[in-house]
Amino acid sequence: MKCAQVRELFGAYWDDEITQGEREWIESHFAGCPACREEYEGYARTLELVGSLPREEAAPDLLERVLARTRRAAASPDRLPIPRAAWVPVTAAAALAMLVIAALSPWMPIRPRATKDANPATPAPREAVAILTPARTGESRMPGAASHATSRGGSLVADSLFDHSEDVDFILDPGTVRRGHVRPVSPHPSTVQGERAVISF
Amino acid sequence: MAPDRDPAAPILSLSDEDLMGRVAEDDERAFPELVRRYQGRVTNLVSRVLNDRECADDLAQEVFVRVFVHRRNYRRGSKFSTWLFTIAANLAKNEIRRRVRRRNWFSLDALQEVLKDSAPQLADPTEGRESKMEREQLRDAVGRAITAVPEKYRLSLVLRDIEGLSYEEIAQALGIPGGTVRSRINRARSMLKRKLQPLLRKEGTP
Repeated sequence: MKCAQVRELFGAYWDDEITQGEREWIESHFAGCPACREEYEGYARTLELVGSLPREEAAPDLLERVLARTRRAAASPDRLPIPRAAWVPVTAAAALAMLVIAALSPWMPIRPRATKDANPATPAPREAVAILTPARTGESRMPGAASHATSRGGSLVADSLFDHSEDVDFILDPGTVRRGHVRPVSPHPSTVQGERAVISF
Repeated sequence: MAPDRDPAAPILSLSDEDLMGRVAEDDERAFPELVRRYQGRVTNLVSRVLNDRECADDLAQEVFVRVFVHRRNYRRGSKFSTWLFTIAANLAKNEIRRRVRRRNWFSLDALQEVLKDSAPQLADPTEGRESKMEREQLRDAVGRAITAVPEKYRLSLVLRDIEGLSYEEIAQALGIPGGTVRSRINRARSMLKRKLQPLLRKEGTP
């Protein structure tokens, strides 16, 4: 145990970064421990080898190259490699994503929340919207959308998402039509052409 | 008027810290003088850490460019050389990590080869003195052995045993406590000693 403690102090002993008490303790240990003494001699020889390495000189044109680069950097400060705070690109990316979403939202085919926002009492039936996608999109194209609601059991339930005063053009989801979930059967007059149904009210 | 405030004071007479203050104030004469003063030490440091002279030249250049670019971040009153070595150590560290990622790394097998070639010649009793070639082989072996020491220990080792920084300066340059510096240096030297053991044995043989 004592040998291990002494060997831990070899570095500080070599560098003279040690207290007088530690120095005396190490030297008294060396006097009675040839193994540690030999180990320290190897340690010292290693450091002599490292110290004998020649110093590498700078490249003769180093100053010139550095000055050329700093002149370029000073001439176009916007090209300086100044580190930016880590949150800047993240925030910029998030802001850009928000802008893109906002810009594209009028063209997004499914807007189940839009109706809800217009009137919180008229929840949009998600499945119906997924199956029947109005060909005419946008709030202005559906002036009466979600305007008709009836009260059932104390809660307001929408009886239609669309204005009953005009025809509504639907694109039927082909997959759903094939599975037979939606049939062009309606109490209202309707016309089905291929995958498109026009329902008149 | 203090020399660092006197614009007419000769650049050569200014301390490193005063010079760096001038660099921060865009005094065009100050920066070249700082580069002249430290280009050798920086090149030697990165060269010994990487054992790659060509890369050391590029990295030394990068160190000084960064000093210039970040000149206004230099804290007046702090020791310039410590700040400079912090930048150099960080760049060297990044380069080591880049090499590790790319597996462009010195292998222990290669070190063994060098040691195998060097040791018998160094121990050859018929040689009255080391030839130039032997000395070069020995240095090559030591340089390679240094690069085989893991990065966090190697930087402390080179800053201490090649650049001669104090433990306190190393602690500041690497941003680690003084006790950690002490243990890292000791650990690095012990690793180096083990790697150079074949050479030490031959050298010690009468």
